[in-house]
Amino acid sequence: MYFELTPEDEAFKNEVRGFLAEALPEDIASKVRLGKHLGKEDHQRWQQILAKKGWYAANWPQDYGGPGWSVVQKHIFEEEAAAAGAPRLVSFGVNMVAPVIMQFGTQEQKDYYLPRILSGEDWWCQGYSEPGAGSDLAAVKTRAVREGDFYVVDGQKTWTTLGQYANKIFCLVRTDPQAKPQQGITFLLIDMDSPGVSIRPILTLDGEHEVNEVFFDSVRVPVANRVGEENKGWTCAKYLLTHERTGQAGVGISKAALAHLKQVAGREMKNGKPLIEDPLFRLRLAEVEIQLLAVEISTLRILAAVEGGGAPGAESSILKIKGSEIRQAISQLLRQALGANALPFLQDQIDPDFTGEYRYTDYAAAAASQYFNLRKLSIYGGSNEVQKNIIAKMILEL
Amino acid sequence: MKILVGIKRVVDYNVKVRVKADQSGVDLTNVKMSMNPFCEIAVEEAVRLKEKGIATEIVAVSIGPKTAQEQLRTAMALGADRGILVETDEPLGSLAVAKILAKVAAEEQPQILMMGKQSIDTDNNQTTQMLAALTGYAQGTFASELTVAGDKATVKREIDGGLQTVELKLPAVISADLRLNEPRYAKLPDIMKAKKKPLDTKTPADYGVDTASKVKTLKVEPPAERAAGIKVGSVEELVNKLKNEAKVV
Amino acid sequence: MDFNLTEEQQMLQDMLSRLVRDHYSFEKRMSHYASQEGYSTAFWQQLAEQGLTGVPIDEAYGGFGGGGVENMLLMKELGRGLCLEPVLASQIFAAGLLQQLGNKEQKEKILPLVASGELKLAAALTETNSHYSLQHVACRARQQGDTWFLSGQKSVVVGGASADLLLVSARTAGEQGDPEGISLFLVEPWAKGVTRNAYPCIDGPRACDLLLDEVMVGRGGVLGKPGQVFTTLQYQQERAAAAACAEALGSMEEAFTLTLDYLKTRQQFGQPIGKFQALQHRMADMRGELELATSMTLLAASLADHPPSDERSRKLAASRFIITRAARFIAEQAIQLHGGIGMTWEYALAHHAKRLVMLSHHLGDEDTHLQRFADLLKAS
Ligand SMILES: Cc1cc2nc3c(=O)[nH]c(=O)nc-3n(C[C@H](O)[C@H](O)[C@H](O)COP(=O)(O)OP(=O)(O)OC[C@H]3O[C@@H](n4cnc5c(N)ncnc54)[C@H](O)[C@@H]3O)c2cc1C
Ligand SMILES: Cc1cc2nc3c(=O)[nH]c(=O)nc-3n(C[C@H](O)[C@H](O)[C@H](O)COP(=O)(O)OP(=O)(O)OC[C@H]3O[C@@H](n4cnc5c(N)ncnc54)[C@H](O)[C@@H]3O)c2cc1C
Repeated sequence: MYFELTPEDEAFKNEVRGFLAEALPEDIASKVRLGKHLGKEDHQRWQQILAKKGWYAANWPQDYGGPGWSVVQKHIFEEEAAAAGAPRLVSFGVNMVAPVIMQFGTQEQKDYYLPRILSGEDWWCQGYSEPGAGSDLAAVKTRAVREGDFYVVDGQKTWTTLGQYANKIFCLVRTDPQAKPQQGITFLLIDMDSPGVSIRPILTLDGEHEVNEVFFDSVRVPVANRVGEENKGWTCAKYLLTHERTGQAGVGISKAALAHLKQVAGREMKNGKPLIEDPLFRLRLAEVEIQLLAVEISTLRILAAVEGGGAPGAESSILKIKGSEIRQAISQLLRQALGANALPFLQDQIDPDFTGEYRYTDYAAAAASQYFNLRKLSIYGGSNEVQKNIIAKMILEL
Repeated sequence: MKILVGIKRVVDYNVKVRVKADQSGVDLTNVKMSMNPFCEIAVEEAVRLKEKGIATEIVAVSIGPKTAQEQLRTAMALGADRGILVETDEPLGSLAVAKILAKVAAEEQPQILMMGKQSIDTDNNQTTQMLAALTGYAQGTFASELTVAGDKATVKREIDGGLQTVELKLPAVISADLRLNEPRYAKLPDIMKAKKKPLDTKTPADYGVDTASKVKTLKVEPPAERAAGIKVGSVEELVNKLKNEAKVV
Repeated sequence: MDFNLTEEQQMLQDMLSRLVRDHYSFEKRMSHYASQEGYSTAFWQQLAEQGLTGVPIDEAYGGFGGGGVENMLLMKELGRGLCLEPVLASQIFAAGLLQQLGNKEQKEKILPLVASGELKLAAALTETNSHYSLQHVACRARQQGDTWFLSGQKSVVVGGASADLLLVSARTAGEQGDPEGISLFLVEPWAKGVTRNAYPCIDGPRACDLLLDEVMVGRGGVLGKPGQVFTTLQYQQERAAAAACAEALGSMEEAFTLTLDYLKTRQQFGQPIGKFQALQHRMADMRGELELATSMTLLAASLADHPPSDERSRKLAASRFIITRAARFIAEQAIQLHGGIGMTWEYALAHHAKRLVMLSHHLGDEDTHLQRFADLLKAS
């Protein structure tokens, strides 16, 4: 039993580090560190850099243009990228719809869509949730009625992340209202430019435009855009969710956030001394760092099991819960570390492209906003309560 | 005298097994595997014969996946001198196993072939009998007591009606029943020594055995769930319930 | 990265779990608890015969030379069975101290007897006012020629009740809280001037208090360099703590399993109580804690024998913190989820719960470990 990386993995880590040091644009890394939202251009620039290196589609099989990394290598890359301040990839295209197309799509769909994802030509968003279908995803009501070679789609999707940047949306639509909820759903790929699609922003509590409502009014979608069989969309949806859930512990991101928090705590003062020397605050820091270490080791254990041929079971639900709680706890400490300086809500200073002089410090501007934004971590991707239901059912068989 | 002991890797008897969703068998992923308990009794008996100075060498044989090495090592930690793994990833039927064991026996020329009476995973209880037929050796099944003297083995057998004692002329195939002995625990120093004992790996093809089965498993179902028990307050109540509710007396 | 056990480790684990299952039913445990010694001398004998009392002891002294992982396997199974024998106190903690501090002669004389189970040791390091700190030593040793005279008290020496030989820390220089000036002595419990008061602890094992009144120790009874053993005491306490993580883990797993089974069996409101979501979520939380505790027990086992470093101490403190918290959480939830039954003496769960909670009163509690981690916190 040993916890160290093999020499090969160690070498890989150095290679990744070297690449990141050279290729990651500092302006992007700085926005990430300060907890700011990135613009479309930022995301695309970074994706292009990765794609050029052949590292964008890290989870894809080599046949489709993936780098052929082991699970451990993928983990190393994620850790190092997060540590360097690289933005987390917007996963809807590359890590959500792509695996579904590979698994269930036709040859034509694979040939058409996958290269466009790799090149960044398409920006995908996820049309699962609806006003009446959140945790209970199988309750989707958006209707698709077959008319010859087309489906006519009517209904509404909501919470669509970064839909404002997207030209494509993958949707769960109801094709058989008579069947049991899970059995009447179909997985459709829809062009956002199609007549009848409209989009409206939803402002989140931090004042940001991150999510949207998407409306479908008699939108005609070619049957060729269906993935898998009609009424078998739930299989695709579930398959996608397992991909969504792995890596949600966000260990790399939390480590980077913790390092940032320590830096801030080294600069903020309390009673004439750096906050990090305050015994109480230090204990709070110690506590999250310990929790994070425990989640990291647990992640490694799951990785090792997967590498050895096992499948990540409902254990990833445990890591999703713990991981999201830790990320939220770190953002809470960061907000707390700033004292009253966290109160001002100066939207121009939160803007990712702000270049002026900060009222207090650059790191204070977005800290509270980010804390509120990160409440989402325990809601989306299967809320933490839903994860506990999964554990109770799948692991505990209650 | 050489003793050949057949051992099988099975799901540990403490594990609550689960049937796969497609009913094709029991789900073995991440399930603890161990030596079949009856095989353990067979190993123990062989070791005792060696300790008495009757046997001189114990060879443990297992037919199964590469991981069955673990069970061979356990047998060696318990006292077997060496091991032979006949490696195959397909689950073999009793006849194929008996054929392979017969070939191993032909090569090794043991005086006693010690087996467990059945394996707790498939409950077939026929490999010993088939092996006796294939080798032409005498057979003593369900042994609850074994004595070996000269070229004779005396076996006390547990049968429905009581105990039957038979005398076998060696070489013989003997299968162990539950009460034959109580297997020991491997001692730590012996566990360490087991690592250094020789272990040969073969394949069914090395013995020229065709392992194709004539039996196909159609489906596996879990046993019906047992209803919760109840507590009774007195002997009278118990008798009453047995009579009137369970209708067993 | 590799979390698999070797074939030998696997066999060791199999053997241990069977041994404990076959010989340490809860009913037997309770009769051992009530016995004169407070543990099973027969089971101790069996551990010795299997070579298990020698697991942590060097091969040169008749042991098996096992490391952190072997100690983990040993303690985890003993924890699952709530075993009362002083394996951790004697074979791991005290023998570890002797192994590291003893000279050749001391080791050759004592360790083979320890490995074979004939001689049991206990480390008497803490005092009424030391609150888990190894450097708050008020007990004093005064030198006169080649002889030392020990006076003072030691309290709650776990495993001390059955020990044949005690390793006692005493101050030979400096002030109460100084890390410098602490020495370690071999003291026979029946030596003149030693009063040993033994008692059971609330979680099962026996402990004792020691009163030392001018107890004479010859030159052969001094372990290590006088005045300079503190760092070794700390190092060995960390090793013992790593093994204690495993003991807790075994007990946690058992408490968890008992509770899960109970949830599936106990009916109220016309259905198994495990159907109530409030309880399902608690159970899921417990499973989560168990997952983290498992990870950190493995980490602790892999680090226990590393050379001393801040990094090792930091991660061991982290492990202990996670495990003590998880242990208490699981203990409290398990009682709660059992309802009234969880409160009864005659049911194994309650004793697991007591053990799990009280393990944190030994070798340091949550706060001790958190504080230690915070002290060693890296600024970036
Ligand atoms: C920032 C953000 C971005 C998102 N992006 C997308 C996106 O791009 N595409 C998309 O399709 N969706 C997206 N979502 C939607 C997300 O998937 C849903 O919010 C999530 O599934 C929860 O559904 P809901 O909001 O309707 O809450 P509800 O399901 O109404 O839940 C309300 C509360 O009830 C609890 N609850 C619900 N059911 C149970 C149960 N069975 N047992 C116990 N507790 C229960 C929940 O945990 C929660 O606490 C996003 C959400 C957020 C916040
Ligand atoms: C020290 C002690 C003294 C007592 N003294 C008395 C006394 O003097 N007289 C007397 O009559 N009784 C007494 N009781 C009994 C006490 O009232 C019961 O223990 C209590 O009602 C719980 O019932 P239970 O123990 O059967 O647990 P259960 O009802 O079996 O509960 C087990 C677990 O399931 C949970 N649970 C049960 N139903 C639900 C549900 N619907 N939803 C969610 N969770 C649920 C419970 O909260 C508990 O965690 C005493 C109990 C104790 C421990």
